[in-house]
Amino acid sequence: MNVTLSDAITLGVQLFALFNVAALGAVSLVWLERRFLGRLQGRPGPNRVGPFGLLQPIADAIKLMSKEDVAPGSSQRLLFYASPILVFVPAFVVWLTFPLARDVVVRNMEMGLFFFVAISVLSIVGLVLAGWSSNSKYAILGGFRAAAQLVSYEIPIITMILIVGMLSDSLDFVKVVDAQATVPFIAVVPLAFVIFLVAGLAEVGRTPFDIYFAESEVVGGPFVEYSGAHWAIFFLAEYVNTFVVGILGALLFLGGWRWPFGADLPQVASVALLMGKAYFIVLVIFWIRGTYPRMRIDQLMAMAWKWLIPLSFVLFLAAAFQLKFEWPWWVLTILSLVILVVPVIVQSRKQRNPALALAARYAANAVVVQAKPRPAPASEDVAGATPAAEGTSP
Amino acid sequence: MTTEPQLETVDMMLNMGPQHPATHGVFRMVLKVDGERVIDVIPHIGYLHRGTERLAEVETYGQVITLFDRVDYIANLNNELAFVRAGEQIMEVEAPERAQYIRVILAELNRVASHLLFIGTYAIDLGAMTPVMYGFRERERIQNLFEHVTGARMMHNYMRIGGVKSDVPDDFVPWVRQLIGEVRKGVEECDKLLSTNEVFLGRTRGVGVIDGPTAVSCGLSGPSLRGSGVPYDVRKDDPYEIYPYLNYKVPVGENGDCWDRYYLRMLECYESLSMVEQCLDQIPEGPIMAAGRRIARPPAGEVFVHSENPRGDLGVYLVSDGTDKPYRVKIRPPSFCNLVGLATMTRGSYIADAVAILGSLDIVLGEVDR
Amino acid sequence: MISGLKGMLVTLRWLGKKNITANYPKEHLPVQERFMGFPGLLWDETAEEPFCTGCMVCVRECPTQCMTAIMHDNPKAAEGTSHRRKIIETFEINLNRCILCGICVDVCNFDAIAMSHEHELASFARTGARADLGLLLDLGRKFQEEVSWAPKGADRNVASVVLAKRAAAEAAKAAAAAAAPKVEETPVATEAPEEKPAAEKIEEGDS
Repeated sequence: MNVTLSDAITLGVQLFALFNVAALGAVSLVWLERRFLGRLQGRPGPNRVGPFGLLQPIADAIKLMSKEDVAPGSSQRLLFYASPILVFVPAFVVWLTFPLARDVVVRNMEMGLFFFVAISVLSIVGLVLAGWSSNSKYAILGGFRAAAQLVSYEIPIITMILIVGMLSDSLDFVKVVDAQATVPFIAVVPLAFVIFLVAGLAEVGRTPFDIYFAESEVVGGPFVEYSGAHWAIFFLAEYVNTFVVGILGALLFLGGWRWPFGADLPQVASVALLMGKAYFIVLVIFWIRGTYPRMRIDQLMAMAWKWLIPLSFVLFLAAAFQLKFEWPWWVLTILSLVILVVPVIVQSRKQRNPALALAARYAANAVVVQAKPRPAPASEDVAGATPAAEGTSP
Repeated sequence: MTTEPQLETVDMMLNMGPQHPATHGVFRMVLKVDGERVIDVIPHIGYLHRGTERLAEVETYGQVITLFDRVDYIANLNNELAFVRAGEQIMEVEAPERAQYIRVILAELNRVASHLLFIGTYAIDLGAMTPVMYGFRERERIQNLFEHVTGARMMHNYMRIGGVKSDVPDDFVPWVRQLIGEVRKGVEECDKLLSTNEVFLGRTRGVGVIDGPTAVSCGLSGPSLRGSGVPYDVRKDDPYEIYPYLNYKVPVGENGDCWDRYYLRMLECYESLSMVEQCLDQIPEGPIMAAGRRIARPPAGEVFVHSENPRGDLGVYLVSDGTDKPYRVKIRPPSFCNLVGLATMTRGSYIADAVAILGSLDIVLGEVDR
Repeated sequence: MISGLKGMLVTLRWLGKKNITANYPKEHLPVQERFMGFPGLLWDETAEEPFCTGCMVCVRECPTQCMTAIMHDNPKAAEGTSHRRKIIETFEINLNRCILCGICVDVCNFDAIAMSHEHELASFARTGARADLGLLLDLGRKFQEEVSWAPKGADRNVASVVLAKRAAAEAAKAAAAAAAPKVEETPVATEAPEEKPAAEKIEEGDS
């Protein structure tokens, strides 16, 4: 194939713009997370560096870059320095297929969804190598644990992507958005969005699934030996991944740049609408972070294998049936809500109701201590005002 | 990670060093782990030892009160109360009733503040970052009141042997009534956010279980003991000050796990607030200091006094030799004795549970090390 | 699930609330009236000198031994403009050691020291925590203006009040002596009034 110079230049410009969009998006997420979490907690968040603290990510970056670059003496240097890149690059490569508007895309592939799935799992390799090359017992453990978590939660995500692909009869992102012209898929399969969100949280490593590196209180995660700039790359990759989950959720479930406007808006408005939806999902992710504690690793894995994966398979079957028998779209909505009710009821029975009952029982069974009557005061007075020269203490 | 070559080489030693990302102060916990399970816990303390008991031998009684402020630096007024009661007992004076009511009001408010801090830090140990802000917001209200009454938010130096330093300001009663309503709402908010949250339940139910007889033999006290079903509370079983004139409930748990210990402290917050309300209704006018000499020069003798601190049973053993300085002040800190139960609770649990169990004991290193 | 979602509603409701933090250092929260900041030495305007005589009771009672003080003869006593025969010469508080307990204020008999409202005295110099007499008098002066401070024992400590009382007592004595037979009364009359206030001071300091 002939690649002319102008093609190469165009591609270079597109890639540069894409890199900027992704990086600026991730950086804006850093700022947005801290301000939003602050507001949830009743405080302003960063507001000193620049107006409204907008330059705070730059201050963070400068701080991280200026740290000393240490590596463990016994680590595998080449792999040690390569692992952040192995985690970081797939986070950016998946952006090649994301259409921000109908024509704002670097390369719109017919197998766009498949491309996303294939590339995104590569970062797991980087994580394992990060842990292993640090040559620290707890980094290795953390790395394997991270890998186990990420691999387990890939299955629900892939299944949800398959469901979306089935419903829109294509793996092409643009066609997926077009299929949501009237009804976004979140209304057609709400449970799929819920599973996608939960599995996406686990993929990115955010609360409540961030124990593999927040457990650095105790064990240390795969990032424990990384300092300064290398850790900044991991940090940036995490935020780019969070942004990817947001954009993917907006494209696959919230109707992309089209819904609720049937026709196409001008390009800038389309991009803005898509970004708005992506940021909304991101804010929900931050909101969850502000509310929930962390799950333990075994509880997290149990949730994946005992709940998310069976539920996603059942939902897949439901979607398959709906397509085969050509039921109207709202049948799938009802089916998915019915399926969603099952774990809610089971969790209520097994965990919430016993806890509520226990709380009520403790409040009711408390040992009651009755007040003894106070001795009559020396002088007569209205209730409450008794001048006592010496108190009667037992 | 520390390894001691002369011991067995199969189990790994995992060091949760003196510096913690979470709070709890400077405490070192060495976990002997076999894979994922904890086999033994070896606590190392002493990083915050400040020689409190030695200083108490060379300082006058008025100065020792400032030392007691700093023993358990979160429940300052409760510690002061224990010491001044010991001083009063050895000097055979009684504080006037108004002073006792003021003391109990402040001590119970300090209990609420201490439990709010526990709820916040326990939540952030487990990864929930908002309850700590909500809890500290309510604590701020209480500390504002303390500043209004005693002059300081934390190290009050307010109680004296024989009473309190100065009378409360005129707007004390309405201020505290409003405060109770606001703090109660705040505690309810933390309750709604955390107590039945499914992730929180998963991290704390069934974790760190200790049964009643073992708890008693380990020397636990306070909510940690009551979580295991033993209904021992010094305010109920060995009452002091004006506690006999109050109606209150002592919540008792059943399972002895982390959730029980956490939830009992939540219930105690509500109880303390209702106790403060009753005190406000009952508080009499009158003097706030016992008549008599102002310099404490007690007769020779010894006395032991214990009281219910937010963390458990604080004991003060005071020996006087007739001078204006104590001969010996021995403090029985509840956190120090609660730590004995740590190994029993942690054996057999996951490494990640060690953080949850240590948090649920609610230790304060100032008390453990003095 | 349900509890978690309810919890999310709780956090969401906080989005609408005002900030619970103050934007320090642009915004300083006010302190309560009884707030115990660093100690400050108080100024007797009627005699244009500090109340502090350098008696060292606070220095002895301080739990952390953070104060040093030196007294000297008060030139104003000889002039007759002050009742204090000794006055403070140097006074230093090591602010790093002061634990803001207020014991020095409790034991002072001369209304000479008070816990000011100043608590933000951090300095970049290592010796910046040594508060000398000038700084302490500044702290005291600021505190006096801020809270419209009045001494608790004005009739014992404020110079104009004490001198006026003494003058009245002397006048009464002179009037009484003028009525009585005049036999060598001069040496007795001048010394007795001066010793009495000093004796009173010691007795009050003891109890």
